[in-house]
Amino acid sequence: MKVLVCIKQVPDMESRFKLNAAGNWYDTADLAWRMNEYDEFAVEQAVLLKEKAPDTELVALSIGPERVKEAMKKALAMGIDRGVHVQDEASFEKDPYQIASVIAEYARNENFDLILTGMQSQDRGSAQVGILVGEMLGLPAVSTVVGFALDGQVVTAKRELEGGLKAVVKVGLPALFTCQLGLNTPRYPTLPNIMKAKKKELTAIPVATLLKDEALAVTEKVSYPEKRGSGLVLEGEIGELTTKLVALLKEKTSVFK
Amino acid sequence: MINDETTLNVMLETVARFVKERLIPIEEEVSETDHIPAEVVDEMRELGLFGLSIPEEYGGLGLTLEEEVNVVFELCHAAPVFRSVIGTNVGIGSLGIVFDGTEEQKHKYLPALASGELIASFCLTEPEAGSDAAALRATAVKDGDHYVLNGTKRFITNAPEAGLFTVFARTDPADKGARGVSAFVVDAGTPGLSLGKNERKMGQWGGHVCDVVFEDCRVPASALLGGKEGQGFKTAMKILDKSRTHIAAVCVGAAERVIQETLTYAMERKQFGKPIADFQLIQAMLADCKAEAYAARCMVVDTARKYDLKKNVSMEASCAKLFASEMVCRVADKGVQIHGGYGYTREYAVERFFRDMRLFRIFEGTSQIQQTIIAKNMIKNAS
Repeated sequence: MKVLVCIKQVPDMESRFKLNAAGNWYDTADLAWRMNEYDEFAVEQAVLLKEKAPDTELVALSIGPERVKEAMKKALAMGIDRGVHVQDEASFEKDPYQIASVIAEYARNENFDLILTGMQSQDRGSAQVGILVGEMLGLPAVSTVVGFALDGQVVTAKRELEGGLKAVVKVGLPALFTCQLGLNTPRYPTLPNIMKAKKKELTAIPVATLLKDEALAVTEKVSYPEKRGSGLVLEGEIGELTTKLVALLKEKTSVFK
Repeated sequence: MINDETTLNVMLETVARFVKERLIPIEEEVSETDHIPAEVVDEMRELGLFGLSIPEEYGGLGLTLEEEVNVVFELCHAAPVFRSVIGTNVGIGSLGIVFDGTEEQKHKYLPALASGELIASFCLTEPEAGSDAAALRATAVKDGDHYVLNGTKRFITNAPEAGLFTVFARTDPADKGARGVSAFVVDAGTPGLSLGKNERKMGQWGGHVCDVVFEDCRVPASALLGGKEGQGFKTAMKILDKSRTHIAAVCVGAAERVIQETLTYAMERKQFGKPIADFQLIQAMLADCKAEAYAARCMVVDTARKYDLKKNVSMEASCAKLFASEMVCRVADKGVQIHGGYGYTREYAVERFFRDMRLFRIFEGTSQIQQTIIAKNMIKNAS
């Protein structure tokens, strides 16, 4: 079996974000970078499959500048066999449709039995890329997967629905799945495996050779949420507090009118 | 020297995640129970932390010293006792074999030390030979194809857990100085080797230190490190040049943690109607901590780079160890001060760090020994 895992490198979400000069994305200087958390679930799922069926071939693909190799190295250290780095200095300017079309273009003739992606990225958060890749390749796509069991050529997947409901879906391969929190606990890449990952194959492909489509939706502007007034803390004895609170509610709201 | 920055960054991310998810949450429990849970030590083994400095051909990671200190900065954002578990395998316990061991000794011990299956201890200090290490009294007397060891070694880190001891003993009773000393690798369980009771320490609870006593302990001649007598003290000094840089890195990591804890506290704690971080006297303390920790980090990285270029770093390693260990005690003291009364309670990590840090000005050469080494080097270089 041949499996493709799509991974994205995103900033550490504890970073302090600043907007870039064009105002259409965040400034990428001085950020620490990580593998998108949802993609880690995808990598872990792929590695679990290989542990059961060692002849499975695991390929990870990532689009972006040189630094995304770090996320790829992590995937390789977790157990992915080889990496494909689609070199693109301006991946952040591409919309989910273009990103999906680049992945689909790569995957089209590679005969993957299974494609795994994260449910969404932690920065853009469009949750479109995986589903679009499935559509472009004519594959069934199952989103927000929290359970995955492969039996022969059939996957029984558990999906997370709104309101705490779960759905069980049976899908024949080839198919695409987007992975959600709860699917598994990604392993730590051990330091010896990180060293060994240096020897694994990492192919580079310039994005121009795979990019065929124009963007459908261009991000015009990115902004911070408007600052809200800070909360008000009342201090004093209970009786006094009640009087203050009632006065405030009368003045600023319509609850006593 | 960093061979591959991408690979190192992935390692640092892994260690940072392990520190945050697995080590920091149990720091207090480890301290209270004086015990690190076995499963956590197993996880450290699995991560490969025991093999940081051991060459790749013997199953380690073979990191350069610059790479190693970067890992140590990250690891030491957790309580220093966790570093202590791997410290002897990465440093003083194994380096004698790495530097001067015979090929047979390397093959026999290094793979098990790299995996953490075997814990190593370094037996140099004695009741009457601390700073004056060359005056050690333990003896090793040749008897056919064996040596017979006698003597007591004091304050031996990880001895209760150790499977292997690097032991320094006098093979030439006529030579009372450094040249009469040889090093041996002795397996735990060798008849005649016994352990004293655990010392009750000021800090670093969860890490264990005790006497190691040799009474007519017979070891085969093949246990002589490198197969040569009289080389032991030279080996010990080579080990210490490297391990002092490592200890300075431990101090930097710990200082960064204390600063982070203290900054968070200062920005949340309100007095006189605003966060105490707004007050300039608090800011002065925070700034001093930051500047000193940064200076120490630069010293450690510079020393490590020179070491990797095979330069003699005796003086630089002592400068880094002296400054970083003194620095981290000042930082921990200011950390407690900024926390005020809360910093004197066990509710806050700075109280523990304050006690834990005090060791670093004492072990692997006191601050005064580092000063002596630095000054001797200065004078030697000028004459």
